[in-house]
Amino acid sequence: MANKNVSVWTSIPFWRRSAAWVTGFSTILLIWLTFDTIGQISMGTDADLKKGITKRVPAPTVINYHIDYKMSQKRGHEVPVIGKKEPFFGKEWSPKEAKELLHLGKLTVQAKNCMNCHTLLGNGAYYAPDLTKAWLDPAWQKGGPMQGMTGKNTKEEAMAEFLQHPSKYPTHARMMPNLGITPKEAKGVVAFLKHMSAIDTNGFPRNFLKTVDQFKAGGTNAH
Amino acid sequence: MIQEFTDVVPSFFGMLNQGPLTLTIFLHTIIILPMFWIYKQEKARLNQEK
Repeated sequence: MANKNVSVWTSIPFWRRSAAWVTGFSTILLIWLTFDTIGQISMGTDADLKKGITKRVPAPTVINYHIDYKMSQKRGHEVPVIGKKEPFFGKEWSPKEAKELLHLGKLTVQAKNCMNCHTLLGNGAYYAPDLTKAWLDPAWQKGGPMQGMTGKNTKEEAMAEFLQHPSKYPTHARMMPNLGITPKEAKGVVAFLKHMSAIDTNGFPRNFLKTVDQFKAGGTNAH
Repeated sequence: MIQEFTDVVPSFFGMLNQGPLTLTIFLHTIIILPMFWIYKQEKARLNQEK
C-alpha cells in the first residue's frame, strides 16, 4: 500500500472534487456577503436618529441636524458626527417631507447627470470635485467665499442659489455649466448632498479639511 | 494581527477585516484546508485501485 507510485495531480476526480468544493463554497460565501452588505447599507430610521443610534446611512430626516466631520482616534479616520437640530431652509422637515425632498434631489442628480463631471461616494467622473462631503466644504460655511458671493446667509441657500446659476459664479478654472435646475430641484439636491455628507464612508475622502482657516491656508478639499 | 472591532455596524466579515490581510488569510485557509482532505482521500482511493 505505502509508496505506490500513484499521481493524485493527474487524477480527474481529484480536480473535479476540488473545483466543486471551491465553487460551492464561493457561491455560499457570495450569498452570505450579499445579506451581510444589506445589513451594512440599509438606511436608518427617524427613531434611530432621535435615540442617537449610529447607522452607516442615516434617515432622510438627518437634514434637520447639524453635521460635522471629526477625527475618530478609535477608528483612525474622520467620521460624520450628527449634532444638534438646525433649521434646513428655515424649517424642520417631517420624515415624509424629508424623504420626498431627498427623492427629488436624487432624481435631479440622476437627470442632470452630475456624475458626468463629479464623483459621488467616489463613483463618477474626475473632471469636477468629489461631492461626497460637499456639504462640509468650508467654502460654503460662514466666512467662506460662497455665502458672500451668492449673497445668502445660510449654507443651504448659498448652495441652492449656486446650483440654479452656476455659470454666474467663478469658482474654479473649470466652471460648472447652467443645467436649468429649478428652485425646488435645487433644494432637493442640497438635501441630497447634506444627507450624503452624513453617510459613514470609513473616512473617505481622506484628509478632508473642515475649517475656513485651513481652507484659506491653501488646503485641498477632497478633489 | 487581529485588532479591536471599530466598525459602525457589527458584522462577521467586518470583524475579520480589521487587520491587514486577516479576511484574506482566513478565507484562503478555510478554502485550502479541505483540499488536503480531498487529496488524501483520492490518494487512498488510487492506491486501493492499483
